[in-house]
Amino acid sequence: MKAINQFRNDFENTLNMSEGIIKNIRSKAFEKFISEKFPTRKDEYWKYSDPSSILKLDLNYNDSGILENGNYDIILSNGKIVKTTTKLKSGTIAEGLNNGSIPKNLLKNEKNPFLNLNNAFAINGCYLILDSEEKKDIKILNLISNDGRSQAIYPKLIIIAKENSDSTIFEEIKVKGTGTNFVNSVTDIIIENGANLEHIILDDFAKDTYNISNICVKQKKDSNFISHNFSVGKKLARRDYNIELVGTGANCDLYGLYFVEGNNHIDHHTTIEHKKEHCTSNEHYKGILSGKAVGVFNGRIHVHPKAQKTDAIQNNQNLLLTDDAIIHTKPELEIYADDVKCTHGATVGQLDDKALFYLRTRGLNQKSAQQLLMRAYVGEIIDHIGNRNIRSKIMDIVLNRLPKGD
Amino acid sequence: MLKITNLHASVEGTSILKGIDLEVKAGETHAIMGPNGSGKSTLAQVLAGHDDYEVDKGDISYLGKDLLELDVDERACEGIFLAFQYPVELPGVNNTYFLKSALNAQRKYRGETEIDAMEFMDLISDKIKLLNLKDSLLKRPVNEGFSGGEKKRNEIFQMAVLEPKLALLDETDSGLDIDALRVVAGGVNAMRNEHNATIIVTHYQRLLNYIVPDFVHVLVDGKIINSGDKTLALELEEKGYDKIIEESKG
Repeated sequence: MKAINQFRNDFENTLNMSEGIIKNIRSKAFEKFISEKFPTRKDEYWKYSDPSSILKLDLNYNDSGILENGNYDIILSNGKIVKTTTKLKSGTIAEGLNNGSIPKNLLKNEKNPFLNLNNAFAINGCYLILDSEEKKDIKILNLISNDGRSQAIYPKLIIIAKENSDSTIFEEIKVKGTGTNFVNSVTDIIIENGANLEHIILDDFAKDTYNISNICVKQKKDSNFISHNFSVGKKLARRDYNIELVGTGANCDLYGLYFVEGNNHIDHHTTIEHKKEHCTSNEHYKGILSGKAVGVFNGRIHVHPKAQKTDAIQNNQNLLLTDDAIIHTKPELEIYADDVKCTHGATVGQLDDKALFYLRTRGLNQKSAQQLLMRAYVGEIIDHIGNRNIRSKIMDIVLNRLPKGD
Repeated sequence: MLKITNLHASVEGTSILKGIDLEVKAGETHAIMGPNGSGKSTLAQVLAGHDDYEVDKGDISYLGKDLLELDVDERACEGIFLAFQYPVELPGVNNTYFLKSALNAQRKYRGETEIDAMEFMDLISDKIKLLNLKDSLLKRPVNEGFSGGEKKRNEIFQMAVLEPKLALLDETDSGLDIDALRVVAGGVNAMRNEHNATIIVTHYQRLLNYIVPDFVHVLVDGKIINSGDKTLALELEEKGYDKIIEESKG
């Protein structure tokens, strides 16, 4: 329980860094967090990923990260804005609340303790408004740096895509330095009527890192959200997508690719709430697991009674390169409307021996043949990225990261 | 080029090849004929190096090397090419990219420089025409959604690009209509010269009208029971396997 006391100390010591609305939000969020039990493996939602390992850590709040420049529009260093551009309507969360850019009820108390904990430390963070009818390409760097500490970091990003805007956001996570990191990040996204938003997250390898990441998306009428999530395993890596389709005709496409090796862990829980009629969702997640790694995929589709004519597709595929790698994959469909189309599928397998033999009879050695098949496997996800430059950058990085199979 | 001596091979403990002797010299084309289950395809797979097949006894010498000591890909790089009876579909693997990677792997093995995409396109343009391949097939994933004939033509196209020293054609005629058969045979014939050799594994004499062999061997129950020239294939077609088996016993 060491960490809980430290969360309290950190909270009390930093509360004066905020004032006004945000101070109030932080206090309520912390009360809510502390009043509820910290989750353990006994909770269904955390069955295969043990968050209580975080409680054993000796953690201290730290937002003094290194300064970094680079070809990005916004840079967050340990959760704090260190670069932004006047071309964009953005600023700190507190500013956004004060100037009315962010709806006050967005940072409300939640069921998920990690959302409350993140709100309790909403000291820094960044909001971004994508103006209506405009088209933007934005690059964000989310940098975690550590000079040997055991640190807790709470990156927070709020993105509001106004009516009929059409944007691509490429969010790169980079981890530098050494030490222990507990990174509890939250991205809140609101997509208003008729807006399109493509969101690409590229994760980074990190030692001794416990990452709990929540991406919460609210989609209004005829909006479109396309998500590409490239994640890698860590000591504990959990990334959840919570998508609410609250307007008719909204569509979301969730594409994901995860690699996990060694003794690392990766967990994705995705939830798509179909709340209104004529919404569509399409989810395709693929993983490559090696070593003694553990992967979890839980895909929940919840079709509410009003959500007639829902069309939901979900697919999770896993490639196990070693005998000791483990994947827990589970589709979870909860359907309360009677005129809907929902399909789901999950596969677990190895590289095809016949295909490997065929490639080798043409002169490719075992390793090259494996790489070629894995390239094809990941290509199916990467090919969906609309922006050609980002697509080829991601392809290069992903090919470099392909597990070696040991 | 290739010398097989007293080759015995089995799969999962079941003996399939029971003493094969065969010598193939550069410039020659050999046809191996036999009824279903006689071991024809096993012989082709063993030569290519498939590890489902256990070599229990015997030797295979290829260009002065002990073939059984070489891995599958080393054999390919040394010039052995197997045209599959059932070419494998590779979803997501672009046909052109695949073939360029294979060619470069072989060039690298031989100590030659790798070739780039432009040079590769020049190199394959004639061979595409030779095999009458549609451009679209080159852009598609390897064999995925190809018709039976397109798959076989794609095999021979790969062979034309990789220019093997020893080509093994495993039931290349199966599933081909007469026009496709002509195209495939034309491709194989265009590549034949005094430096390379071809082993054709087939059920029927039909293919041998188009690719005329120098030698025909009849394989029955894991052994070559009869060898001759191309007239043996015609005799087989006329009399059937049973008759030839009886005669060889007698």
